Amino acid sequence: MSEYLIRKAIVNDIPFLADVVIASEKGMSDRLSFATLFNKTEAEVKDLIMLMLEEETEGCELSLSSFIITEFEGRPISGSGAWIEGLNGALPSKILKSNLISYTFGEKSVRYLRTKAHIVQDVLIEREPMTLQLEYFHILNEHLGKGLDADLMHRIEENARAQYPGLGKVQCQIFKNSVFSIKILLRHGFRIAKSYKSADEEIFDYLPYNEKLVMEKEFKN
Amino acid sequence: MERTLITEKLAAIFRNVFNDDAIILRDDLTANEVANWDSLTHMLMIGEVEKVFSVRFKLKELGKLENVKNLVDLIEQKVKS
Repeated sequence: MSEYLIRKAIVNDIPFLADVVIASEKGMSDRLSFATLFNKTEAEVKDLIMLMLEEETEGCELSLSSFIITEFEGRPISGSGAWIEGLNGALPSKILKSNLISYTFGEKSVRYLRTKAHIVQDVLIEREPMTLQLEYFHILNEHLGKGLDADLMHRIEENARAQYPGLGKVQCQIFKNSVFSIKILLRHGFRIAKSYKSADEEIFDYLPYNEKLVMEKEFKN
Repeated sequence: MERTLITEKLAAIFRNVFNDDAIILRDDLTANEVANWDSLTHMLMIGEVEKVFSVRFKLKELGKLENVKNLVDLIEQKVKS
């Protein structure tokens, strides 16, 4: 592990983090909801994700401050995003994220979303206040299987406890077909707490899968 | 535009976007109290408000909206300017 450096993300990491967000959003599919639901190309989405990260709205999955990076030979090779929901009286992350999207994607995209919103409604899940929310977790393929996930998970939890010592739980919302990520989470002590499934077959055209899991792990304080 | 008219128009937007004809707007009403107020409907609501009132919000302004009163205040200020 000595050749890996884990650190907080900085502005220069934003292009890499946009790739992390895109890869994590797609999971085991080629569907990118930021593109399908807003009628954008993947290249346009990457630019918009970079813009959102540059805004630095703290307290949601699209905050630069939510991310940590692993560096190998001076280059980022993994990115992970996590935040404590509603910490210090912050607005719910669903609102912060939606504000960012409304502002950066613009009116046309939001109008397009209006025609598609009903398709994904069943898999929108509320986040539990004052829990650690793990959203994005991506390691470049050539660095998989080297135990990096354990170090990242440890660092994410350590950072969160430093911010909020009373932290009781970490949660992760994940599509059920993300078998590799689910395996990693189970290995790190997560369990499947809830499942949300859509009966709308059209969802497969817009999202990676029709079922989302809430996985969680409780901390002993 | 008068504050009462803003609130009336806003109530119509809320009832339509959040699909609940029974919504009554109060100054201290927040996202947590409205059943269908999620990430998608929030975007739709902001989009509708911008369209109906012909205004455009800045991200900083959106980030300060904690309840309905804040939103009415912001719309009132925007339509005046």
